[in-house]
Amino acid sequence: MSAVLSSLTRRNRLTIVAVAALALYALFFASSYDQRILTLAGIYVIMVLGYQFIFGHAGALSLAQGAFFGVGAYVTGILASQYGTGFLLTFPLSIAGASMLALIVAVPVLRLASHYFALATLALSQLLLLIAVNWVSVTGGANGLPGVPPITIGDWQATRGTSLLLFVWGIAVAAMLVARWQLNPLRVAVFTVMRDAPLAVPAFGIDPGLLRLRAFVLSAAFGGAAGALFVHTNRVVSPETLGFGIMITCLTMTVVGGRFGILGAVIGALLLTHLPEWFRGLDEYYLVAVGVLLLAMVVFAPDGLASFFKQRRIPASPPGHAATGIEENATSVKTGVRVLEISNLSKRYGGIQALDRVDLSINAGEIVGLIGPNGAGKTTLANIITGIARADSGSIGSAGFDLTTATPTAIARRGIARTFQTPQLPDGLTVHEAVATAAANIGNTANKASSISARATTAIATCGLTRIADARCGTLPHGLRRRVEIARALAGAPHILVLDEPAAGLAPPEQAEIAEILRTLAASGLAVLVIDHNIEFLRPLATRLACLDAGRLIADGPLDEVLADDTVQNAYFGLVQQ
Amino acid sequence: MSAMPRVITAAAFLCALATGAQAEPLRIPVLVPITGFLALEGTSQKNGAELALRGSGVDFDVDDTATSPEIAVNAFERALTSGRNREDVVAVVAPMLGTQMLALVPLADEFAVPMVTVSGTARITELGSPNVFRFFPGDVVVKAAHARFAVEELGAKRPAVIFQTTAYGQSGRAELDRNLTALGHPAVIAEGLDVSVKDMLPVLSKVRDSGADALLLHLHSGPTALVVRQARAMGLNIPIIAGSAMHQPETAALLEPSELAGVCAESGASPISETNPDMLAFADAYRAAFDREPDAFALGQYDGVRMLLAAIRSGAKSSADVREYLSTQRYQGLAMTYASDGKGNMAHSAVILCYAGDSRVPAIVKRYENLTGVL
Amino acid sequence: MLGAQLALNAVALGAAYALVAIGFVLVLNATTAVNFAHGESVVAGGFAAVALAMLVPAGSAIPGIILLPGVLVLTALLGLAIAALAYLPIRNRPPVSVFVTTIAFGIIVTNGLNAAFGAAPRTAPALLGTGTIEFLGVTASRQSLAIIATAALLIGALAFVLQRTQLGRQFRACAQDPEMARALGIRLTRITLLAFALGTAFAGAAGLLLAHQFFVTPSDGAGLILKAYIAVVIGGWGSLRGAALGAMLIAFFEVGVASVSSQPLAEGLLYVAVLLVLLVRPDGIFGEPQRLRA
Repeated sequence: MSAVLSSLTRRNRLTIVAVAALALYALFFASSYDQRILTLAGIYVIMVLGYQFIFGHAGALSLAQGAFFGVGAYVTGILASQYGTGFLLTFPLSIAGASMLALIVAVPVLRLASHYFALATLALSQLLLLIAVNWVSVTGGANGLPGVPPITIGDWQATRGTSLLLFVWGIAVAAMLVARWQLNPLRVAVFTVMRDAPLAVPAFGIDPGLLRLRAFVLSAAFGGAAGALFVHTNRVVSPETLGFGIMITCLTMTVVGGRFGILGAVIGALLLTHLPEWFRGLDEYYLVAVGVLLLAMVVFAPDGLASFFKQRRIPASPPGHAATGIEENATSVKTGVRVLEISNLSKRYGGIQALDRVDLSINAGEIVGLIGPNGAGKTTLANIITGIARADSGSIGSAGFDLTTATPTAIARRGIARTFQTPQLPDGLTVHEAVATAAANIGNTANKASSISARATTAIATCGLTRIADARCGTLPHGLRRRVEIARALAGAPHILVLDEPAAGLAPPEQAEIAEILRTLAASGLAVLVIDHNIEFLRPLATRLACLDAGRLIADGPLDEVLADDTVQNAYFGLVQQ
Repeated sequence: MSAMPRVITAAAFLCALATGAQAEPLRIPVLVPITGFLALEGTSQKNGAELALRGSGVDFDVDDTATSPEIAVNAFERALTSGRNREDVVAVVAPMLGTQMLALVPLADEFAVPMVTVSGTARITELGSPNVFRFFPGDVVVKAAHARFAVEELGAKRPAVIFQTTAYGQSGRAELDRNLTALGHPAVIAEGLDVSVKDMLPVLSKVRDSGADALLLHLHSGPTALVVRQARAMGLNIPIIAGSAMHQPETAALLEPSELAGVCAESGASPISETNPDMLAFADAYRAAFDREPDAFALGQYDGVRMLLAAIRSGAKSSADVREYLSTQRYQGLAMTYASDGKGNMAHSAVILCYAGDSRVPAIVKRYENLTGVL
Repeated sequence: MLGAQLALNAVALGAAYALVAIGFVLVLNATTAVNFAHGESVVAGGFAAVALAMLVPAGSAIPGIILLPGVLVLTALLGLAIAALAYLPIRNRPPVSVFVTTIAFGIIVTNGLNAAFGAAPRTAPALLGTGTIEFLGVTASRQSLAIIATAALLIGALAFVLQRTQLGRQFRACAQDPEMARALGIRLTRITLLAFALGTAFAGAAGLLLAHQFFVTPSDGAGLILKAYIAVVIGGWGSLRGAALGAMLIAFFEVGVASVSSQPLAEGLLYVAVLLVLLVRPDGIFGEPQRLRA
């Protein structure tokens, strides 16, 4: 026993003690009233756990959680009170109803950003509320429908008190397990990248639309489940379940407790259901006291009270466990084989011809430098290759696939990875986590957490970052962040690597380190396209040089020849010397 | 071994405590909405109950039920199961919000505690519960008076109805429809309004276009005043017969006396209009206690609690005794005589008040007694 | 004639909603903070007017314009309190925290007013006296005209300040890049306090005007902020003319559409229209003038 206890972390021991104390109190010392408040807290835990998916992890200000809760409430309320349908049918139907609604509205709504998404979800909620209030014959109107039976399964019934408390918290624990399963540390990291570095997500083969959809539907399912339990607890379904008040309660619980993690949901729900009850003695001023305390708590803990506890992280596996993923994939393409074929590519932005009939090809094992003055179209080309922008005409092919109109996600999955001019790394993730997010998307092999972690570890080792694998990205100097980006690109086991100004702003020793890494990679068969205008960086590195000027490719060939070319001299060095 | 005597002492002590608890004063928890959109009416309810209970020797605590069934059930459970002895609670003053009552009925039945309320929602006495006692004429009663006054006294042939899309409004609208149809003059137009509506021109222009010759309102306080003011401002001078919100002095205070000319309202009573000494004493005591004018909700709740106290005086010691008394006895209150119709409807008469245009105090122009709701 | 009357009423109501929205937009433009206590600030302005009017001996009806300076000062102080307690301490933390601190502040104001004044609807004196003006068969109350004029004046003044003055440039600088603004010598805290004081004083003026026309109760704040939020987002987050247009759109549905359908249906159609606008213009009607998203 003591051996088991001592093997737990301090936080886990603390949690177990707290849970045990609360359970003892709830089951043996609490009055029926106390148990009711705890039951309601359990229902809100489920709702908040759901809201954390969309609001916390996906970072979208959804104001539809109350609507999902209300849909769950009305599905159960109407079926149970009017048709006598049993819990075993109404409960799944409530979850399904809310999820279906989320799926239906997701298509037009999920592409909206920030407050526009908030307004769309708000309008949806208000519409449903309006229907509930005015469709009197079905919903009972503003009065709602009485006569919702207690939860009944066979001969067993949970009316109030201990039985209902245990049942609701049983479902809450099940919801926690689902949340924990859905939010493994890796997916949490992917969500973090999506929130804090949105550009990077599609570039590593992760489809942000699908991620958001998953979060939205999960939040709805949890909301629907909570709503169903809520009407069984109050024995009546009424428009308050769809009202804005419930939504605000949910938002407040999530912010006060924490936007991420089970602990945050539990703290927020427990605290906010009890807060008004504790202050009831203050008569008409009790809600003023609730407001004051709420304000104080958020000022004191803006990231939620649960932020005082540590969150789960992806453990960095020791280098000895490193897999051989990169070598496998990279060497599977023979050096010298053409891996990228760009032909006749054009792109206009407004009145500017950003790219004008560009032809370029890259072979495995080659390091191609792409130079050109500012505004020559270098980054545009990188963006089109990786699918972030789309060409007006022309084509891009790789290993027999036409990628001209492919999405960034599809392109990344075909083995084309990139880094960004401004590193797209979320401050809060460790190096290992940031790299692992990209390692998760090699579609074919088993995506077990251990193999993903191992691939990340290998990529980190390749870039010489093993010593800082557990450091937060936000704490790293610029040069190291560049290397983390390269490591992340490698973790997806690409055969083409596109680097957008990897040397910009770096000191010569740091540049040399990066050059060394790139040479090693090329030697193992990787095709590398380096966009830069720093000739001193490219001279010892590139096997071939291409030069863009005003959207046109004016030279392409061995480094020395291109540098000696008159057109290049004029377009490029002429400008520099001015 | 030596622990044994201590256990016995402790057990004896516990028994003493238990018998001691029997001597605790009786309790009547007051569970009413004093925050949120029904706070105005709920505060009247609270004040009426409080005035009756002060100095009565019965313990009471006021608990807010706000606006949702959830919080009403919380307050009910707290009053009955938290801390003190459940048996002391002989009755509960229950919220006037219909939705909350619908949620409380199964609980009251489970705990076998009678609930005394002034909620008008028709449905609450139709659920077959022996524990609901309504001391304000329900929608079945006041809407009969409302419709009959419009048709029979004012000669309305084409009445128009504007109702609130709240629990209060929808319940009253259904009863108005039923009564107007039975009287042979169904509403030519019936429009629902959210409480937040600010400009009444759209709905009033539709009333005018419908050719209505009387306007029946079933709205909360602020919207009632807005409709009256705007109808008069746009020259829509048909008679307006408002719901009981109009009789609340706070509603009349929003309007100029001249705007009130030709406005009538239904209510269970109008304490400020009466001149008998008992009512004057009640009104004075109410003003002294709360610095507000009394209304019919306060009076109804006052009468209801006074009937509870009468039950206790006559020897009722438990909730069962009190329920028995409420279901079988007649009680002469200030507003009217109360007696259950078998479903818990205690109040069966209503009054119609009209404003003359020179004051904010209405005169009672018609009393309807013994309205049963059977048409 | 009814059409013209409805149009006038819609413009007056739209002006009232615009008045509520512009203080919100001002704070947004200066700090990016989303102040969900703004609806309650409007209500507080209404009750400030009610309270000030009670100080005057009964019977002597004074016009609202005499009360206006007092209302502006009181609500500006409220704005300073919101900034100091609910925004400045967590300025650099997740913006959603500010949603909740301002919601909490709103709860305090609503329930404080409910406890102090009671729940009854109240009315405040008209800005320049009551009565109506008839013109070509259309009746306009003096108060409606006062609301339209005040809204036009304040929107014009705010547009001028934001676009043409040094203060407006400082506001924008603080909103877009606080660090850079600080480096340029702008006193961030002072600008923030000023923006909140001004924005909340605007709310106070709106409260005074609305309290006469439509009455005021302590629980009105939630409904007002809902309408202001819809107006601000649908117009384009942070755009002043967008917010004004959004307010007019809401009023058009509440008055115009309601007069040919019914109020609940008109409300439903408004939300459908909002969804359709977002479908066609995902960045609001006018798009975003600058990056202000919290």
